[in-house]
Amino acid sequence: MPLKKLGELEVPSDQDYLAEVDNFTEKLIKKTLLPSSDVDDVAIVISEAVNNAMVHGNNLDVTKSVKIRLYSCSKYIRIVIQDEGGGFSPEDVPDPREDENLLKASGRGLLIIRHLMDEVSYKSVKSGTQIIMDKYV
Amino acid sequence: MKLKSRTEGDIVILEVKGKVMGGPDAAVFQEAIKAEIGKGIKKFIFDLGGVDWMNSSGLGILIGGLTTIRNIEGELKLANVTDKIQSLFMITKLVTIFDSHETVENALNSFN
Repeated sequence: MPLKKLGELEVPSDQDYLAEVDNFTEKLIKKTLLPSSDVDDVAIVISEAVNNAMVHGNNLDVTKSVKIRLYSCSKYIRIVIQDEGGGFSPEDVPDPREDENLLKASGRGLLIIRHLMDEVSYKSVKSGTQIIMDKYV
Repeated sequence: MKLKSRTEGDIVILEVKGKVMGGPDAAVFQEAIKAEIGKGIKKFIFDLGGVDWMNSSGLGILIGGLTTIRNIEGELKLANVTDKIQSLFMITKLVTIFDSHETVENALNSFN
């Protein structure tokens, strides 16, 4: 299935750029075959993954960047978010649904990503870590 | 995110609009709550009817608000929780934490 690249954006690890990322990706997502009911879900997931990349991957070091790439084909859209961090083990992330974690202000991003996307995988690359997320159209 | 507050008796209703995605939103939200607490307010309603979508940072903002209000022995009710947000509450089990009401009027009436 040939994937077509829709666009790419690179931003510093500064959360003030989250709105810019959302503006950029929303325009691209709306051009895909994704049903309108799923557009917000994908926007949420991109914000989660970019925020995680900035905070956990790059420790909010503004000299480090986060890359956002969007692809699509007739079957799915693919979002690849890349940080400059050393990676992590998803199974080591505490379950935010446990009683002792319910009132914590953070730690729900990966859970939401897994629920809203159809395929999620992680990949170590030379310059950092990627999260690759697919949503079927 | 945009915030607007109004008062009904001793209850403050914070209307939340737009996309709630963390970053600068968290500080704006906390400052709004603390400003009302500074005026002696202890009862809050967050009206979420105008929220386009919310991510986990947005959920964290709501939890931060709840914690701040509980710390002063205040009360928080949510109103007009959209289907999208309700779905996130279900996924994250936060449905067990928040006291949600269909309308602002119902939330107002739920205060003793």
